Amino acid sequence: MDQQNPRPGVGLTGASLSRRGMLRGALAAGLAVPSVPLLAACGGSSQPKTNDTPGTLSMTAWEAYPEQIRALLAKFKDQSAVPVDLSLIPNVGYGPALQTRLQGGQAIDVFYNFAYASTKYVDAGWAATLNKLPGVEELIDDMFPASAARHRLADGRIISVPYFSAVHSLMYNENQLRKNGIAAPPATKEEVYAQSKKLKAAGVPSPYAAYWTKQFLEEYFLVYLLADGITPFDGKGAPAFADDPRTLEVMEWWKSMYQEGLTSKEVLTADPGAHVTAMAQGNSSFFELHHYFLQIVRTTDGPESKNVTMLYRSPGTSGKTLQIGEVIQLGAKAGGQRAQDAWKLLKFYGWKDDSGAYSTFSSWAKAAALLGPYPGLFKDKDFLAAFPSYFDMAKLEDAFANQSDVVPARVTPWYASFQVKVGDRIQAMLLGQAGVKETVDSLASDAKNLAAAGQ
Amino acid sequence: MSAPTIGQAPPAAPRTGRPATRRRSVQGRADARFGLLLATPALLLVLGLVAWPALRTTLYSLQRVNLAGEESWAGLANFRTLLTDEQFLGSLTTTVLYAVGFLLVSTLLGLAFALLLNETFHGQWLARSLLIVPWACPWVMCGIIWKWFVDGEVGALNGALYQLGVIDSYAAPLSDNTGALVVAVLAGAWRQASFTGLLILAGLQTIPRELPEAAMVDGANIWQRFRHLTLPWLRPVIVVVVIINTIFGFMQFDTVWALTQGGPGDATSVLSIYLYQQLFVYTNTGLGSATAVVLGVIALVLGFVFVKLLYRSTAIAEGVE
Repeated sequence: MDQQNPRPGVGLTGASLSRRGMLRGALAAGLAVPSVPLLAACGGSSQPKTNDTPGTLSMTAWEAYPEQIRALLAKFKDQSAVPVDLSLIPNVGYGPALQTRLQGGQAIDVFYNFAYASTKYVDAGWAATLNKLPGVEELIDDMFPASAARHRLADGRIISVPYFSAVHSLMYNENQLRKNGIAAPPATKEEVYAQSKKLKAAGVPSPYAAYWTKQFLEEYFLVYLLADGITPFDGKGAPAFADDPRTLEVMEWWKSMYQEGLTSKEVLTADPGAHVTAMAQGNSSFFELHHYFLQIVRTTDGPESKNVTMLYRSPGTSGKTLQIGEVIQLGAKAGGQRAQDAWKLLKFYGWKDDSGAYSTFSSWAKAAALLGPYPGLFKDKDFLAAFPSYFDMAKLEDAFANQSDVVPARVTPWYASFQVKVGDRIQAMLLGQAGVKETVDSLASDAKNLAAAGQ
Repeated sequence: MSAPTIGQAPPAAPRTGRPATRRRSVQGRADARFGLLLATPALLLVLGLVAWPALRTTLYSLQRVNLAGEESWAGLANFRTLLTDEQFLGSLTTTVLYAVGFLLVSTLLGLAFALLLNETFHGQWLARSLLIVPWACPWVMCGIIWKWFVDGEVGALNGALYQLGVIDSYAAPLSDNTGALVVAVLAGAWRQASFTGLLILAGLQTIPRELPEAAMVDGANIWQRFRHLTLPWLRPVIVVVVIINTIFGFMQFDTVWALTQGGPGDATSVLSIYLYQQLFVYTNTGLGSATAVVLGVIALVLGFVFVKLLYRSTAIAEGVE
């Protein structure tokens, strides 16, 4: 066989490398490859406790508008000469993926996070508090006072900067209402019910659209309570809603809206896209969700898209609504100059650029009509120009500044668990498997138990 | 080196001047070492990627682990918590119902696909190619596709049934407890039936053509041929299929999550969703790991039982016992 091989010494039975020799080599390589992670695992995290070395920062974000994120990071590099290595994780499963990476010891300098997980991440030592960093007090002071509670905890710790903010509002089809003899949009829940009944009788298949999936029911729970002037949680995070008799009325209204067919049959599992389509096609007249969905409905180009406008509040006796927003956090492993660079990135991404302009927020406004929690934004020409003319910016500012609440309990470490319970229990109530009083009592009990357990 | 079979003369011992048995023994040991050497990299990978995480998970299930990674011994406390947790017990019941439905539908549908595609007809190659399509679709996409398919407003299923006059108005199965579970089973089983069909089809292709022909000559009808010839021949494949489908049924997460997120209420909240919530929402590593251990043990025990039962029937059928 060797005689047929033009290259002596490399044949399977050649003198320089026998079959056994080659297999021994393969064995050594085979042993080495899986041993690396095993040895690393045996010796604890392979990452250092802190990384003080300046250089390329690492940032993890979910996959929304990836090109825009890259453009923003390129701009940051131009301004600060600090390059950023971006790692994108799909939206679905972002939380578990990020948690796994951080729990596994990966050093991430800056990362997007859900507001409800932000305190938990600081408590776990995965995210740093920002209190002593230069300019952080100015950043917080620059916010609407109501919004600051999402970033500065009751105990004084500052744990995040804003990524974006939004308010819940009722959107409605003005033309459809008028054609059906309804002169003005609903101001209270009773009017939502009465108008929905009228529209249903007139042939609108599912007058009221809302994103009542398990994951989002908690937001609606708070929106509906706030709109009727009910305090969801007191200053200590205790479930004050349970002591207010009006909570039962809100839940009865909610149940009637579902059980009397005033919503789509699919409302418990449908994606927002389905509701947007229903509004654009005229199959629904009301849509309650984040304000920026107005832009999505208007640009969907359905026969009714152009007739959809916004109330800038949630129907109810107080008219208040929920202000939501996600956050950006500073990883706990950066130290020295690296931490300073990461903080610069946080300020650029969550506040102002080097020239003092809200350029990041203006770019998000252009892309998706997203807001930021700064009054200064509503005076910024670039920012205001980013919104299409069908947005009434004065009303939006008022909703943001005066008519919305962030519900500070939402950033407590146990809140994510409570959110899951709300989804389960309210869907059961809507389906008639649990009574209204039983649901409210169970939710109050869940909140107390989870807070006591620190989960 | 393969052992000589009955009726086959053993190979002559090489002329080396040493006794043949000793030579074979030395050769056998060398072959065993050689085999071990070849398998070592794969074994190490399996140890690193399967055995080690499984061991860690089992250890975590016996510990309390906080977010900072500090561990303290909990003994069986996590398992006791599970046994008294109504949500866990509800999820366990849902999982069993889901897994049984998944196993039956995917296996029977896969068998039907395979039997159909084993026949000769025009466009057989196209039909066989189409069989792979559901399998090429990721689990999560499968959930999304079925969500739209059964949608109560614009779903194709409702449209077809309405046009055929089967229903008077569109139904919304995902907003109904039983309907959501049935759709979740069908969505998962639709994909798995494709893989099952491929495996069984491969098994059917190995049946020698003479066997069914001889059975036909002997007067066996189609059912008798299937019952006494095809099914026994396929039994080893069916063992594998049943084990795989049982494991997939118990471990299913993506399709159900994309379809219902475990809802409405907790109607489709299978154990893997409960596990996900424990690990990533409640960040309770101990309880989440205990759930994973319970799931693993259920799959292991059922797999073992199926192997025993099905191989035993094979052995009886072959007259070994």
